[in-house]
Amino acid sequence: MKLGRRKFLGLGSAALAGLSLKSEQKIKGSFVNDSFQMGHLLRDRAAFPAAKHIEKVPVVIVGGGIAGLSAAWRFRKRGFTDFVLLEMNPQAGGNARWGENEVTAYPWAAHYVPVPGPKAIYVRELFEDLGVLKDGQWEERYLAFSPQERLFLYGRWQEGIEPAVGLKQNDRDQFQRLENLFSEFRRSGAFTIPLELGLSSKFQHLDRLSFSDWLRQQGLDSRLLHWYVNYACRDDYGALASDTSAWAGIHYFSSREPEEKGPLTWPEGNGWITRRLLERVGANIRTGQMVHRIAQTRRGASVFAGDVEFQSEFVIFAAPMFLAPYLLENFPPLHDFAYSPWLTANLTLERYPDSRGVEPSWDTVFLDSPTLGYVDAMHQSLRTHIDRTVWTFYWALSEGAPAQNRRLLLEKDWTYWKEAILHDLERVHSDIRQCVSRIDIMRMGHAMIRPAVGSIFSEERRRLSRLDGRILFANSDLSGISIFEEAQFHGVEAAQKVHKKLHG
Amino acid sequence: MGVLVFISVLLVAACGLIYELVAGTLASYLVGDSVFQFSTIIGTYLFAMGIGSALSRYINRGLANRFVWIELLLGVVGGFSSTLLMLAFAFTQGFELILYALVVVMGVLVGLEIPLLMRIVKHRYQFRDVIAHVLTFDYLGALGASLLFPILLVPRLGLVRSAMLFGLINAAVAFWSTYLFANQLSRTRELRVACLLVLFGLGTGIAEAKHITATAEDNIYADEIIFARDTPYQHLVLTRFKDDLRLFLNSHLQFSSRDEYRYHEALVHPGLAAVPAPRRVLILGGGDGLAVREILKYPQVESITLVDLDPEMTKIFSSNPMLTRLNDNSLLSPRVHVINSDAFPWVASNADSFDFIVADFPDPTNYSLGKLYTTAFYRAVARHLSAQGFIVVQSTSPMFARDSFWCIAETLKQSGLQTYPYHVYVPSFGEWGFVLAGTHDYALPKSLPAGLRFLSVDGLSALFQFPPDMAPLPMPANHLNSQVLVRTYENDWKDISH
Repeated sequence: MKLGRRKFLGLGSAALAGLSLKSEQKIKGSFVNDSFQMGHLLRDRAAFPAAKHIEKVPVVIVGGGIAGLSAAWRFRKRGFTDFVLLEMNPQAGGNARWGENEVTAYPWAAHYVPVPGPKAIYVRELFEDLGVLKDGQWEERYLAFSPQERLFLYGRWQEGIEPAVGLKQNDRDQFQRLENLFSEFRRSGAFTIPLELGLSSKFQHLDRLSFSDWLRQQGLDSRLLHWYVNYACRDDYGALASDTSAWAGIHYFSSREPEEKGPLTWPEGNGWITRRLLERVGANIRTGQMVHRIAQTRRGASVFAGDVEFQSEFVIFAAPMFLAPYLLENFPPLHDFAYSPWLTANLTLERYPDSRGVEPSWDTVFLDSPTLGYVDAMHQSLRTHIDRTVWTFYWALSEGAPAQNRRLLLEKDWTYWKEAILHDLERVHSDIRQCVSRIDIMRMGHAMIRPAVGSIFSEERRRLSRLDGRILFANSDLSGISIFEEAQFHGVEAAQKVHKKLHG
Repeated sequence: MGVLVFISVLLVAACGLIYELVAGTLASYLVGDSVFQFSTIIGTYLFAMGIGSALSRYINRGLANRFVWIELLLGVVGGFSSTLLMLAFAFTQGFELILYALVVVMGVLVGLEIPLLMRIVKHRYQFRDVIAHVLTFDYLGALGASLLFPILLVPRLGLVRSAMLFGLINAAVAFWSTYLFANQLSRTRELRVACLLVLFGLGTGIAEAKHITATAEDNIYADEIIFARDTPYQHLVLTRFKDDLRLFLNSHLQFSSRDEYRYHEALVHPGLAAVPAPRRVLILGGGDGLAVREILKYPQVESITLVDLDPEMTKIFSSNPMLTRLNDNSLLSPRVHVINSDAFPWVASNADSFDFIVADFPDPTNYSLGKLYTTAFYRAVARHLSAQGFIVVQSTSPMFARDSFWCIAETLKQSGLQTYPYHVYVPSFGEWGFVLAGTHDYALPKSLPAGLRFLSVDGLSALFQFPPDMAPLPMPANHLNSQVLVRTYENDWKDISH
């Protein structure tokens, strides 16, 4: 019998299929929580329905991220309940949203809050309210368990993210000098959280150059040092050190006391805080309510969402600032608000990859990877035996222009990003494809405000944060850095201003 | 007939390769370093085959007779090769010597086969056909064997029986060669009897193989292994030497039946006998039921809740006669409630109150186990303590891991408890430590249950005395976010082992 060519090829591939028994299991997943379609409707000035119903409510909070939820928290704590919070997405929380599957709850974005310093009084108050801080003691179960961070470099693991392996004397000296510089800035008292409390024009010159230029000015050129500060900027700001204001870069390192205690964290990251806030203010929240217009009126402001006009006395605008020109009438275009695009993914693992004797950490980072590594949602579990888990994979698309990366986020399909993520993980976990059963990916074109050069001391920013009319702004964009404490600070402050005006 | 000859070639080639693979695999299993083992064994084997081929020219008469004998010999040597090697590893010092001697003998015999066979059949074919056919079937046989070996033979039959099966095939080839080459043979009947004897011998071997393997394996693991299981949580091995039963979890000794009474009496009675009227007791860990056995000596205890992660562990200690004899069927007592659950989440979510709580976990060798020795855990446990109650914690050795022991004591102290550390000598463990803790003062009990083999009322106070080499050290407490104990424990043991 002679085999036809086609038949032969068929048999050949069947044989190959047989040989690939050990290859990856089918990995499922999809894009989730997409919200850019709604943003694009606003951008393209799409036609929205005319108002059919009118609701009168003294205060409307627009946006259900940490700023909006914190404003609501403050209102209810003061006993004021006559307000609504309108959230565009089906789930409130913004960058503190979370997900949950049969294995565990997991974060979709922010996943920890550093132990707050003495100036962050609102954060401390919140944590006392939530039982995180009791009689001056931090609840041990909410502090990140040990081992916390590990870095993969030169084919091995080290504890901590600051490179400690393969440093030459010169590298060591530079790390030490940088630490000394940061200590001095810390002592100056000008780098605080909340940022506004310490902001001093004495250091305004640091906002006029990039963090990497400043480092070079100080004679700091160690490759590992630059990798480390770049990692910090990508992780907190979604931007390279060369795209970050030196002031903001210094703030990252100098605003907190070097704490021995781990940061505060939960399986679902800051989603845990969102959940607790929702327990307290959920009754005032309306999700799936996309605001498409906010108009000043003679005695307040009207907020249009769907076919409802909310006639209010005060509006707290707790959505990201870049939406303001599309929602507010006669609002001038913004110049000093740039945003970093991000991608996060949650990977469901049926088992941990082979660890070569190293126990899993809370946060895992790879040297010289374009991504930020991953966080293990089961790390805060009290269990001693853990088989399945969820990893939250973080990737700030920081190389190149944000607009270009936003396009890339939308153009490429799920398979492309799935493969990119697996390729990155495979460099360290060669058997990762055998472990992962699902990868869900969340794309965020405007994930966070970017503290670009000149943005911290920007006049525009100062003007907007001082506004004191019928419409108040409350978001971390007002600080220029996207961290939980800043969002909460502006939310609480706005609520207090409004409350005072209403009740004297 | 031609086809039958070539099938013989195919089978013989397969046998030759199987013996080589058996030797390589066994050496890798037993000695390790598979790359080295396979390289040297294949090299030696091929070299020996070359010797065999070279020797074949000195065989000039009675080719067919010699061929049958060689097949038989190979059947015996190859067939019993893995048995011989396992026994050699278990009972002698010279495993490598025997291994390579065997490889050389088998290689020489295999090297003789094909040249002889080619000469036997050369009169029937043209030279170029003999070469082509014989070598074709030779290589085909090798391919078949090399695929069968990892896919079917090793997983299904194991090494001992695989070798014997192919010994049997060698002998079978010998047997049918006495018919195939009948016209070239002398003393045929004698040959056939020999063949049948070898076939019978190997057949019996296959039937008895299990026993052989067991004998050899037992000797590799010093004591007889009476139970070994990989559960999802741990590797559980139970060994017996004469009347000494030993339990190993992940190769850490948990108890020896000869002196475990010292450990378990000391774990339970100093604390429990000091509780005025204990009714409810909680044991965390301790799935072996040995602490339960001690607690059941208190008739006033109404209920014992045992929380152990591994259902396999509590199952075997409730069902295996040797083990239930050891724990007096304690896990089957109607007073005992077994809950297979992870201790920390269980403690954190349950609200029951207990008069005595035992924390009997493996030593804090990793961060997972380390969670069970933290202030967070002890605070959660203490919430379950009744006003009169005490907690006792197995706290590793104050002698070999002195820092760790005092770190555990400090951790209990910083969890808001008063602590009363003590220690005992358990021959199979050495000096061992416990920390008793509670929310009120501890006074030594005035009486103990009857029938104890180790503890006496008079001897109790001595347990709480620490000689200078085990005396308290200032240590930090262990928290979930620091886990200093895991690092301390690792250093403690690093100092005495290497």
